[in-house]
This record gives sequence, C-alpha cells and structure tokens, in this order.
Amino acid sequence: MNGLVGRPVERVEGHAKVTGTARYPADDPVPGALHGFLVTSTVARGEVTDIDTSAALGHPGVVAVYTHREMPRLTVPPFPYPKGFIPLQGTAIHHAGQPVAIVLAETLEQAQEAASLVQVRYRSEPPRAVIDDAGQQPYLPPPFRDRPNEFTRGDASRALAQAEVRVEAHYSSPTRHHNPIEPHATTAHWDGDRLTLHETTQGVNVTRGVVATAFGLPADRIRVLAPYLGGGFGAKGPVWPHTIVNAAAARLARRPVRLVLSRAQMFTLTGHRAEFRQHLKIGATREGRLTAIVETTTAQLTTTEESIFNESDSTSTLYTCPNVHIRQEGVRLDIATSSYMRSPETTAHFGLETALDELSWVLGVDPLELRRRNHTDIDQETGLRIASKHLLDCYTTAADAFGWSRRNPAPGATRDGDEYIGWGMATEAHTFSAIPATASVTIGLDGKAVLRIATQDIGTGTRTIICQIGADALGVPITDVHAVIGDSALPNASLSAASATIASISGPVDRAARTARDTVVGLAVADRRSPLFGVPVSDVETRHGHLIHTRDQARRDTYRAVVSRAGKPVETTGSVPNVPGHSYGVVFAEVRVHARLGAVRVTRVVTAHDMGRVMNRRTARGQVLGGVTWGIGHALMEHTVYDRATARVVNPNLSTYLVPVCADVPSVETLFVDRPDPSSTALGARGFGETPITGVPAAIGNAVYHATGRRVRDLPITQDKLL
Amino acid sequence: MPNPPHHANTHTRRTVLKSTTVAAASTALLPDAASGAASPAAANPGDVVRVTLSVNGRSRVVDVEPRVTLLDALRERLGLTGTKKGCDRGECGACTVLVDGERIKSCLTLAVMRRGSEITTVEGLADGDRLHPVQAAFIRHDAFQCGGCTSGQIMSAVACVREGHTGSEAEIREWMSGNLCRCACYQNIVAAVADAAREVRR
Ligand code: FES
Ligand code: FES
Repeated sequence: MNGLVGRPVERVEGHAKVTGTARYPADDPVPGALHGFLVTSTVARGEVTDIDTSAALGHPGVVAVYTHREMPRLTVPPFPYPKGFIPLQGTAIHHAGQPVAIVLAETLEQAQEAASLVQVRYRSEPPRAVIDDAGQQPYLPPPFRDRPNEFTRGDASRALAQAEVRVEAHYSSPTRHHNPIEPHATTAHWDGDRLTLHETTQGVNVTRGVVATAFGLPADRIRVLAPYLGGGFGAKGPVWPHTIVNAAAARLARRPVRLVLSRAQMFTLTGHRAEFRQHLKIGATREGRLTAIVETTTAQLTTTEESIFNESDSTSTLYTCPNVHIRQEGVRLDIATSSYMRSPETTAHFGLETALDELSWVLGVDPLELRRRNHTDIDQETGLRIASKHLLDCYTTAADAFGWSRRNPAPGATRDGDEYIGWGMATEAHTFSAIPATASVTIGLDGKAVLRIATQDIGTGTRTIICQIGADALGVPITDVHAVIGDSALPNASLSAASATIASISGPVDRAARTARDTVVGLAVADRRSPLFGVPVSDVETRHGHLIHTRDQARRDTYRAVVSRAGKPVETTGSVPNVPGHSYGVVFAEVRVHARLGAVRVTRVVTAHDMGRVMNRRTARGQVLGGVTWGIGHALMEHTVYDRATARVVNPNLSTYLVPVCADVPSVETLFVDRPDPSSTALGARGFGETPITGVPAAIGNAVYHATGRRVRDLPITQDKLL
Repeated sequence: MPNPPHHANTHTRRTVLKSTTVAAASTALLPDAASGAASPAAANPGDVVRVTLSVNGRSRVVDVEPRVTLLDALRERLGLTGTKKGCDRGECGACTVLVDGERIKSCLTLAVMRRGSEITTVEGLADGDRLHPVQAAFIRHDAFQCGGCTSGQIMSAVACVREGHTGSEAEIREWMSGNLCRCACYQNIVAAVADAAREVRR
C-alpha cells in the first residue's frame, strides 16, 4: 500500500490541461470533416409550412442543406434520450429553437451564414411559456424511471390537522440552464454502417446505446469518444437531438460532419432545470419534532414528454417524520425539454430547508438545534438503520468553525454601516446511484500499468482517483499508472452523473488491479529466475513497483522484471457491484444586504460533509467550491427569462444569464468528516459530487431573513425583491 | 486601431467587454483594416485572404475569409485547439490569448486584423518542458476541474500578473472576473494567481 487513496494527489491530467494539449471532443482533428450548423425554429408551437433552401445551397462552400424532407426516418429512443421526439422528422414544432434544418459546409463561417439564408415559413399558435400561463390544472404524470410521482408514508393530512404547530408556504424557482463552458459538440464519422462519434458526453456508453436505437444499428457498430469533457453538470448526461441529426446528416452527405452548438442553442437543445413550484405544509410538535409533511410540487413539462426531474428525495428521506405525502405534478408547456441539472433535488430542498427555518422562528428554537432534533439514523423509506451517517458531526464541526453559537437570533439586529449582516444554515443531502461497471488492468513489459474503463472525467477528478486506487492496489508509484477512459470500446461503465462515478467504478478498478498484482506475484514465485522463487504468495508485499519478501526485504523483484521475463503483458478485469445511498453535509452562510439597495453579497461560507471515505481531498474540495458557487448563483442570480408571447428565451447568453464570476463568491472553508462507509464497496467512499449546493440556496435565503427580516420564497433573491 | 495602448489604471472589470465593442465595430472597416491582400472585393463570401500571423514566436500563413475570427483561425486553421470557444461573443473568456502581451478575447477580433502582432496562446507559454509559473501554480492550487475555461484563465492570469493587478485577493478577483469558470474553481484560481505573481516578481 502506498496510501495514495485519501491523499490530496494533484490531478494526473493537470499538465495536459494547463498546456492546452488535452484534446476535447471538438478539438480532435477529423480529416475531411464538414462543419454543420443548425437552423432552428423561431416559433414555439405550430408547424413548418415551407422551407426554401435555395439561397443557402447557393452560398459558397455549402455542400448540403437537409430538412425533414431529406432526413431518413429514425426511431425515437427512450430515456436517456429525454426529448420524446426527434427533430427533422416531420413538420410539427414543439418549442422555439427546435432544429428544422441542418446546413453542411466546408467552413464554419459558411455553414453559419448559409443557415441564416434558409427561409422557413410557419403556421404558428399562441404558445405557453411559463407555469402561470399553462391554462391547465397540474396533473400527476406517470412514473418516471419506475419511480412514482406520488409517495405516502403514514397519514399526513390527519397528522397535519392534529399538529401542535403548522407552517405552510409556497416556494418557487425559475428555469435555469447548466451552461458548461464547453458547448455541446459532436463529430460523426461513418465508415459503411460503422459510426464513430467524437462527442461531448458524460456517458460514452449511454450515447452509444441511444444512437444505436435511433439508427436501428447494433451498438457494437458505434464507437463514442470523449477523452476530456469541458463541463457537463447534467447537460451532457442525456443524449440530445443534435447528435442524432448530425449523425444522420453525415450519413447522407457521406462526409464526416462536426457540429458545435452555439451558446444560444444550448438554451433550447440541451435541457435545463425546470421551472418549479412547491406548496409545503409542515406539522410539528411544540418541541419542533416533525409530525407531518405534505408537499405538492409543480414542474414544467412539455407536450412531448412528462418526466419530472426536480426530485423531492430530501422531503421524504432527510429527517425523521412518520407522516409524509408528496405529489410531484406537472404542466405541459411549449418550451424545450428539461432534464437533470447538478443536484436535481436542489429546487425542492430549498423549500424544505427554508420551511424548517420558518418553523424555527415560529418555535423560537435555534435552526441548527431544530435539525438536530429531527435527525435520524433510520432510512425513512426502508426502516433500516443507515450503515454510516455522520451528519451530526458535520453540524458540530462546521458550526464551531463558523462561530454559530455567537449568533444573535434577532432578525435585522446586526448592522455594519450600510449593510445588514445575517447568518443562515441548511442541511445538505444527495442521493447517489451505483451502476455496474468493469475495469481492466494491463501490466506491460515495462512494468507500467494501464487502467481501462469506459467512464469519463467531467472535471470531478475521476482519472486521478482511479490512478490512486490502481497505484495503491498494485503497490506502484502513481506515475507508473495510466488511465484510459472516455471510449465506449473500453470495459463497460456508465454515466458520470447522479454522483455515481466513484461509487460505481472504484471497486472494479481496485479489484482488477489487485488481481493483476496477485497474478504478477504468482508469476514471480513460480519463476526460478526470480529472487522470490518459492516464496509463499502471502509473504510477498508490493511497494514502489517492487515485489518484496515481507520477512527478508533483500529478496525482491520488480513488476518490470517479472512481466518482461514472462514475455507478455498481464491483463486482468474486475467487477464489483455497489449500492446507492446518500451523502450529507451542512452549509453555514453569512450575507450582507445593503440597507437601501437590497444588494446581497455572500461574504462567508463554511461547509462540512460526510461522504464516507474522502478519496482525494483536493478533488472533493473542488466539488464543494463548485457546489457552493452554484448555490450562490441559484440563490441570487441565475434565471432564464422567457418572452411570454413567443415562448422564446430572452437571455440565451452569458451576459444576461448571469452566473457567478470570481468577484461574486467568497472563499469557502471546506471541512470533511472522512469516515469510511462500511457498506460501500468503493473502498468506503460514497457518491458525493452533487451533495454540496443542495442546501446553499436555503442557507443564503435564511441568512437574508436573519439580516433583514424579509423572507423571500421565490428564487433568485434579486435586489428588486428586497427593496 | 487593433492594439490600443495599455492604460493600467483605467481598466475596470468591464474593460474587456468595452474593448470587444470596439473590435466588433471595426469589422465594418474591414477593407481598410485588412488593407493589402484584402481589397474591397475580397469581402465577398467565399473569397479568402492570405494572412501571416505570428503565433507563439512562429510565423504561420493561413488562408481565411476576412470574417474569420482569430479564435477560429487558431482552432480550425492552425490546429491550435488549446484556445477554447465558450460563447463566441466575448462573454466567457475561454478564448483569451495575448496579443502583443495584452489579453484579448480572440472570438472578438478578426484574424486579418492581427497581422504584425505577436500572438501567444496557451500552447506557447511553457518553455519546453518548463511550465510557465502560472501554469505550474494552476496545477499546485487545483485551479481547474474540467479544464474548459483553463486556457483562457491562464492567459488572463499571465496578463493580470504582468499588469500588476495582484495586490490583494479582492484585486485579483476583480481582475480575473472576465473569465468565467462554471466549475467554479475561483478560490483556487485566486490562490494560483497570487502565488504565480510572487514567483514572477522574485
Ligand atoms: S469564446 Fe470568446 S469570450 Fe467566450
Ligand atoms: S475548470 Fe471547468 S469551467 Fe473552469
């Protein structure tokens, strides 16, 4: 054991990223590739009545313009293709920004200009863009991914009626867009009926499966490559129509085609966090113990699909409460399909954690103490004891670091010059997945190890962590381990989403590497030329690339010598299942609110998290910094605006869809409990990445209340709401 | 004028945005700005201009339509894909390069306007195997996650250090706010820039 797992090892791909040599999917040179550009609908509801492509076709460099008239008929894949329809298959228009044609040209500039020359005529109907304009009663959609949208435990309405104390409120949040810095890009390259895709995806295998379904091809004809990804946050988890449309166009044109979405197109073609309403009723005892939660949520759906992505997991599982009734409803609007976005439970979590704050004021109980009183180690869904949950330690650690005990509870009582100062807190929680995976390890004649697995590193540190695991299991320096990922031809793994990656692939990588180690040790002790010949395998340890007799350290061999004498590489595979679960934490925030202008600044944040074993403190910390910043964006600025007359996005760019910049965020103090979870096969680690952020909007909102006495229940908390 | 003189004390957080407006406006002056190979007739779609660019100390000849941005010339014609396109509108900073030592957003300037300028991209920062202090500091401080913004952050940071806008954490935050990082490594970027500034001054 080198003990690399758990250490803050620098990212193994750091050099490639800081020198610009890391090749992202849009960077791969593909000889002869044409540039594609999408023509998208300007109306939100209706149909295409005519498309005139002659001017575009006459533009220099244009090779083809395809519309629904030319496109082959394709099969609409199920989730993770969440769109419900494929564009360019007919004339119906379901949302503004829907692709209606694709232009292929020799250069990007030619494709882009020619796209503006395609003349499209529409018959249009008045669209519905926001929940307020739905003109329909919300309804309960059918189960999504086998999860029903209605959930009951006990008798919530009776318990609520009998509750000693009740809190009832409406919370809401607008549409938000992921906006990874790297736009979605796809390059399709056909060779007969074999397709290679250079794809910005969080799941090479998922993309392969979806595209295979769309084209009616066996999956093994398709190879998907994503060695690096410039951010996903869920936007690149599902497969979106541009990938399928572009691949179909490349097949028709018999040329490779590269398509990169514009920033504006990413506001209608790659999912978003749906507009969301939450009606919450909480019943409690006078001591603050929860007796009932009744929650009805409303999310934006579309006319082509009805999946609820804004989950209410926290409401049902975070605190002990015997009586819960949740209904996740939706209304169908004429805007683009929503999808998962970093920590999908954040929207509902905001209401729950704000309502608890409201309850704490009603009861006169400290908000942190209220959460302690409702803490549980019992899984609220199964009734079983949770193997490892250290949320109470998180509370204590972070509260001490923040100085929570010094808080003056009175709202609006702390002022510094023109600013009110407020402190707020909220619990964080996230449900992570675990998806079966297989890894392989090859020890070459040079004694170096190559790990292969069809996972992805979307910036979370996957590559580094699997190298740490492999190096530890083998007993070699991390520089002797190389990870090959992001290729569907590699041993099977799934999406880098739902915080599933580390939970899913750590066990398989460790198993494959341990098997490789045991194989090499076996070769050594069976080889007369080895100093370890005849030594029982249990007496051999591996360290720094050496195989060493535990009781006679002078007797040693090396990976390199053993494998090169054997004359062929050692190859092993490993596969270990894991179970899904939850990670937890707490966030404390300080805000300053300008007394006259209502401007809110977040000036201090302290977090503590329980994620089982911390595999790499650097990369884990990165997830916290990212999550807190996203939470600040959600709480204070991020907001996609629709024009209600046309159902078009008004701010499809980064100068009017505001995301936090460097000067908007404070330094965050990130603390970890770091205790391995005995129930996890991922070396004691749990899925974590999306846990931070879940509580941040509520912590900030609660701090704003503490600062000002004003409760804002509709996010984002913009200045106008505090004037 | 493609390269306005540098007035260190007049910059604000929005300077980059303001100067991009200038760059966009100058596209209207294209035939003049691209005088020489680009005769007025060269503005027809499809016509190309032969441009010699000095990139990372090497002279590179590229045939481009006058409308081709410096960013697309670098990425699509010269194979220098280290410079990233995040928005193509001057809003994200992913495409930041140095032109005559000054940071600019390469999506908002045309390749033909940059003849005669010395262009530095992220590929040109390291000295052989020796990383630039800013690059090394970015690794040390974990100042990136996905890397989508990183080339731009690093180029911006190199200029930020050279401009002397590293006096305090607040100053660095202000002067690095033209480069978005959606992974939000801001805190680590600030630490990396401060550290690199100390090293450069040494
Ligand atoms: S690509 Fe140039 S600023 Fe975004
Ligand atoms: S590192 Fe991902 S956007 Fe900055």
